[in-house]
Amino acid sequence: MADDRTLGEALAQRGISRRSFLKFCATMTSLLALPPGMAEVMAETLARTRRQSVIWLSFQECTGCTESLTRSHSPTLEGLMFEAISLDYHHTLQAAAGTAAEAAREQAMKDNYGKYIVIVDGSIPLNAGGAYSTIAGRTNLDMLKETAAGAAAIVSVGTCAAFGGLPHANPNPTGAVAVSDIIKDKPIVNVSGCPPIPVVITGVVAYFLTLGTLPELDSLGRPKVFFGDSIHDRCYRRPFYDQGKFAKTFDDEGARNGWCLYELGCKGPVTHNACATTKWNGGVSFPIESGHPCLGCSEPNFWDAGSFYQSLPTPTTSVKGAAVAAVVAGAAVGAAVGAASRRRKSKAAKARTPVTVDDLK
Amino acid sequence: MNGLDAIGIRIETGAPGEDSGYALAILREIESLLGELITSGRAGRIDLRSLPLLPGDEARLAAALGEGEVDADIQAMGTTRVRETAVPGVWWVTHANADGQTVAELIEIALVPEILKTHPEDARAGLNTLQERIADLIRGGDTNG
Repeated sequence: MADDRTLGEALAQRGISRRSFLKFCATMTSLLALPPGMAEVMAETLARTRRQSVIWLSFQECTGCTESLTRSHSPTLEGLMFEAISLDYHHTLQAAAGTAAEAAREQAMKDNYGKYIVIVDGSIPLNAGGAYSTIAGRTNLDMLKETAAGAAAIVSVGTCAAFGGLPHANPNPTGAVAVSDIIKDKPIVNVSGCPPIPVVITGVVAYFLTLGTLPELDSLGRPKVFFGDSIHDRCYRRPFYDQGKFAKTFDDEGARNGWCLYELGCKGPVTHNACATTKWNGGVSFPIESGHPCLGCSEPNFWDAGSFYQSLPTPTTSVKGAAVAAVVAGAAVGAAVGAASRRRKSKAAKARTPVTVDDLK
Repeated sequence: MNGLDAIGIRIETGAPGEDSGYALAILREIESLLGELITSGRAGRIDLRSLPLLPGDEARLAAALGEGEVDADIQAMGTTRVRETAVPGVWWVTHANADGQTVAELIEIALVPEILKTHPEDARAGLNTLQERIADLIRGGDTNG
């Protein structure tokens, strides 16, 4: 049955105050780099709208993206996003199962045709006629095309849906592809990451609900506000990179002093994401801060980009003279190293070898 | 000898204690917004988390603005602290979630920050609540009387 309540009515019935919601909107406005005055506009707009119908399709995925969004130690402001939407179909979260679940999806599509948001996690297999992943006897490909037809917008959550992810890695036995490889006639936003930071997912949905459009996207379809900077350019360990102080092993003096993890394989220079600023687990930390190099998980083909523990090319061996001379301008070096590293990543993808124990030593 | 050597360059080290100049820049923006509040009544806001502040900048800003008469805590899915600075009309608003982590930090230039105000619809709902409570009290009085 369709939920006709406005978001404001739904919140009031849950005992969530208007001030709590205004605080949520102030947080979202800040994260989305919108003008601070937009918080009240967002709150007033969302409070008066009917709850947005969202259909979440889970295809060839590990459920990590849903786990990222739903794990919390206590009720969080981000959890309010679930109040703003009517999550009409989601394998992990819905109470219905079997034919009742599929009927819920079809009813939501019919009641909200042209207006619902589709969120997809997982890649879509094409080999063997799509038989590698089916739901209710239907291939993922078939279900995606049918559901996308009436969607207002599609959010590809996670690197699998955005770029193919792990199933797409060489030799790609299932013929896995991204959502954007199949759907060409709908606005698609890629929220990549393995998994993505949860507040990035909620931020995109909040932006769409308030302004009715998707935020500005980069060349890979990712929201620039979260994916505009590389990890390297916002990393708190950057001063150590600039001073040439690197950890050589995971337990040496450099590692204990929190030095740069470049020589341990950090892919920060070629990775765009919000990890270094927004961080994880409610802003507690992110991989580099916890002592592990960035894997580059929000980029296409990161599984085929060479060992996670082999360092990217160093400026003295792979970067042209002009860039070396600009070493005091860390950003310029970062960009030059990034370009050299992307060439090497591309070569590595062609000669992918499995990680061995020796790589970890 | 390269002619560029004659150009004086100050390398920014960002060491704690060094004044980056950001605090003064923000104060100038607050000055402009406060002037606009006075002449047009239009409130303004500065999102401190959107600015690339260096260590010490926030403390310098807080010291320059000082502390005023109002210090309010709002309990709404975590504590939001609203403090008027020593400059009337300039408020420091810190939003924290239920785990006590700061999720947003703003300087608001307004007669009263939005989050402190009661929304008209909440006041209407509040009137209904009050009328029910009055009715309950009267009913309770009739039973005892």
